[in-house]
Amino acid sequence: MLPVLASVLSATLLGITGRVVRVEVDVAPGLPGFTIVGLPDAALSEARERVRGALRNAGFHHPPRRITVNLAPAEVRKAGASLDLAIALGILLGSEQLRAGPGRAGVIGELGLGGEVRRVPGVLPMCLALAACGVRRVIVPADAAREADLAPGLEVVGVGTVAEAAEAVRAARSRRTRPVPLPRMDALADTGPSVTTTIAGQPLSPDVRVVDLADVRGQAVARRALEIALAGSHAMLLVGPPGAGKTLLARAIPGLLPDLDDRAALAATVVASAASEEPVEALVRRPPVRTPHHTTSYAGMVGGGPRLSPGEVSLADQGVLVCDELPEFDRDVLEALRQPLEDGSVSVVRVGRAATFPARFTFIAAMNPCPCGQFGSADRACSCPPGVPDRYLRRISGPLRDRIDLWVSVDRVPPAVLLGRTPPEASSVVAARIALARRLQRQRTGETPNGRIAGRQLRRVCRMEPATLARAVLLAEREGLSGRGTDRLLRVARTIADLQGCAQVERAHLDEAARFRAPVDRSARREAV
Amino acid sequence: MLGVGPRGPLGRSDPEPVGGPAARRAGSPRDATQDVATRALAIPDAGTRTLRGFAAAEREAWVVLAGTEGVGPVTFSRLLAAYGSAQAVLAAASSRGATADLVAASRGQDGSSPTLAPAAARALAVSAAAPELLLEPVRRSGVLVIALAEEGYPARLRAIELPPPVIFLHGAPDSLGRARSVAIVGTRRPTAQGRAMAGRIGEAVAGLGATVVSGLALGIDGSAHAAAVRLGTPTVAVIGGGHDRLYPAGHRSLARAIVDGGGAVLSEFPPDTQPTRGTFPRRNRIISGLADATVVVEAGARSGALTTAAWALEQGRSLHLVPGRPDDPTVAGCLAFLREAGPDARIVAGIPELLEDLGYLRSVALDPRQAGWPSGDLAPVEREVAIHLAAGRGSVDELVDATGAAPATVLGALTSLEIRGLALETFGRYRPAGSLAASGRPPVRIPVVHRGSRAPHAA
Repeated sequence: MLPVLASVLSATLLGITGRVVRVEVDVAPGLPGFTIVGLPDAALSEARERVRGALRNAGFHHPPRRITVNLAPAEVRKAGASLDLAIALGILLGSEQLRAGPGRAGVIGELGLGGEVRRVPGVLPMCLALAACGVRRVIVPADAAREADLAPGLEVVGVGTVAEAAEAVRAARSRRTRPVPLPRMDALADTGPSVTTTIAGQPLSPDVRVVDLADVRGQAVARRALEIALAGSHAMLLVGPPGAGKTLLARAIPGLLPDLDDRAALAATVVASAASEEPVEALVRRPPVRTPHHTTSYAGMVGGGPRLSPGEVSLADQGVLVCDELPEFDRDVLEALRQPLEDGSVSVVRVGRAATFPARFTFIAAMNPCPCGQFGSADRACSCPPGVPDRYLRRISGPLRDRIDLWVSVDRVPPAVLLGRTPPEASSVVAARIALARRLQRQRTGETPNGRIAGRQLRRVCRMEPATLARAVLLAEREGLSGRGTDRLLRVARTIADLQGCAQVERAHLDEAARFRAPVDRSARREAV
Repeated sequence: MLGVGPRGPLGRSDPEPVGGPAARRAGSPRDATQDVATRALAIPDAGTRTLRGFAAAEREAWVVLAGTEGVGPVTFSRLLAAYGSAQAVLAAASSRGATADLVAASRGQDGSSPTLAPAAARALAVSAAAPELLLEPVRRSGVLVIALAEEGYPARLRAIELPPPVIFLHGAPDSLGRARSVAIVGTRRPTAQGRAMAGRIGEAVAGLGATVVSGLALGIDGSAHAAAVRLGTPTVAVIGGGHDRLYPAGHRSLARAIVDGGGAVLSEFPPDTQPTRGTFPRRNRIISGLADATVVVEAGARSGALTTAAWALEQGRSLHLVPGRPDDPTVAGCLAFLREAGPDARIVAGIPELLEDLGYLRSVALDPRQAGWPSGDLAPVEREVAIHLAAGRGSVDELVDATGAAPATVLGALTSLEIRGLALETFGRYRPAGSLAASGRPPVRIPVVHRGSRAPHAA
């Protein structure tokens, strides 16, 4: 038997991006051995044992020869078990137990010793990467077939065992064609499954009920701020004593967000696919709402760890990141929020590897005004020593505070209001305004929401009548606003105008926006003059 | 008595039974103040209140003697009376075996027990032997020194019982002797409303040309000082330690602003004195002593501001306390004081009322229909919000409920009112300000022109 060089296309996951890997298998005469080269990690090195067991137990022959597996490109570190199936098929091809049909297929899957093919995380991004390389046909684990189907333009073959996979290779038909550009999303709507309302990953623990705003009495300012925040993707911070209803408001968020459009849905699904142990069954249409606890570690928030997994900021991509008890988070974790708030992405760098994760979330945070929680409340006294409430606020660094567009003081709702005559608006009414505002923003600035507009673009979208401009100048001067503060005022006013469907920012919008200013008088509590 | 021990605030640092306001109130009549001042000086030609030939050497001796640990105002005056001059006291202290003599000299004229502890007498011997130890820090820190025997010593302070023999200050000495002077004190842990009230009172009195005197503490004190600084009026901060150990450190920039604004930061302690628990109650008598009137804004049951209040009454100055709800712990001290002090302590019923009580304004009844309230060219919704705001509805929720307007509209209207100076916000709650705050259509008050530039206490 002549030595044969076999080559199979597969992919690994780096962060949340698929990387195409060419698996080259050389079955040569010599002392029996099995070597994998090309910077495999521990899980990948163990593929030798899984492949050997799987082939034998699936009724194939594991040739007693010198087997060398090369993973190209050689200088990229590869991780995970997604290449198992490709290696096994490469051995079968290399030892001529299998002859490939015409055309090429991408192969993804982990092997069990019994020959069964198992799902790996990130099948969707890997398929997208293969598709971008011109592959038209993928062989994937059967339970990830629907997930792979979400990648447009691919023929998906789900396989449960090595034998089925070998059969699929033998029958391979599609020819390598010219590379297709990354999916056109409007086409995706047809090929993808119908819109679902399942919430991606585990954004909210199942026992958390989604609250309708009709059930939230009082808190007019906080409700309004939440509406503005979600409409324009503005970072918002609620400051108020325990019992003021901060958590209740946070629970209303899922009911206020419109479905994701196709592009955003695919992005959210990619993240869910890479992060989730469970197969993703359908496009994630509902924006994720992540509520990390304040004990969350740096890697948990930003991403990282041995597998370079996405963190909470990326799991909240296209959705909302809710941080309760903000000052209780580790300082490092808080500082790490600055980059995603500014750029909409976060980079994680490890030795030899770097990944950039998307992190286009709306940031909603809440905190007590001081450690005891009562500072500034109308009906109870604060028991903190002098100066402590200030230091508490200063745990949130200046640069992070600068990125918060909406500051809201909340207090416990007085009984008169709880029993008052004004009926609160329902979530559906507010959600309609939010959807309108988002549509207007998309028409104007595409992917960039008002919350991330700055500089010249901001001036352009906030063009005002001379009288309105004078009002803006007056407000900025009165509050002693910095350049950043003025930008915040304009951004928020722009969103308020969008919520009303107004093309131009008007005086009333500015006046309302001014109410959500950062509490300057608090940071100057030491009577700086 | 409230916040003052049986031996008075000075009892802590001086072993002598000087008798604070509490102890005094029982027996001594009000006019004792004058006697004590004279006795404290104990200078033969006290009629001029200025020591003839008060040379630089004697001045330094005053600083050394007053700066020696364990020598308080009473001991100082007794030793001065016994030896004739501070230099003579130091000369005696530096001779061998003078301890007993010094202790004996600190006995009162009525034979009361000596106020100089033997340890303090030994400390005095050390001071006398090495005066530079005390003088050097004073020179280094660049503070001004004013001795009780000098012309520049503030007249109001000279008039109190136990005036400090020497005061140290940064800033303008003439800020201590202005015609009007009001002390504003209170808790270091105020509510937002208390802080704002202190600021408004500070602005009101400073606006009428009064010096605001306070203790530079966090909270009410700081707000009062800051209000005066904002208006560019001199304000005087009396600190409870030395200038080089400025406390609280967080108010360092405020202290600088006070000095830059023509005010003064003053202490009876040499610049290198570390503030301690005992030094603060003791300096409180200087706060009230530098002012014609003391205003207390928010004091809890054990607040140090109550010591200042007690001293004010003791010194024969007027006292005004801002009241509050009986179940509010932040004003418990004020209410208890009002109840116990009787008619001497006045209630602050409002800022115009306070100014009237201080004699800075007099009221003239005016036809309420001419007041035109709420004033200004307000939009209908703004007027609506203003009326409800003045009626005490302070949260946006309440205003939304009362006006029936959309929250967005109410928020915009509040910005408008704020710009016109008719509303103020803290922690999401709003309260009326400016003409809107004077909600009861009160009589118009006109300023009283003060004649003469010297303080009323100047003899």
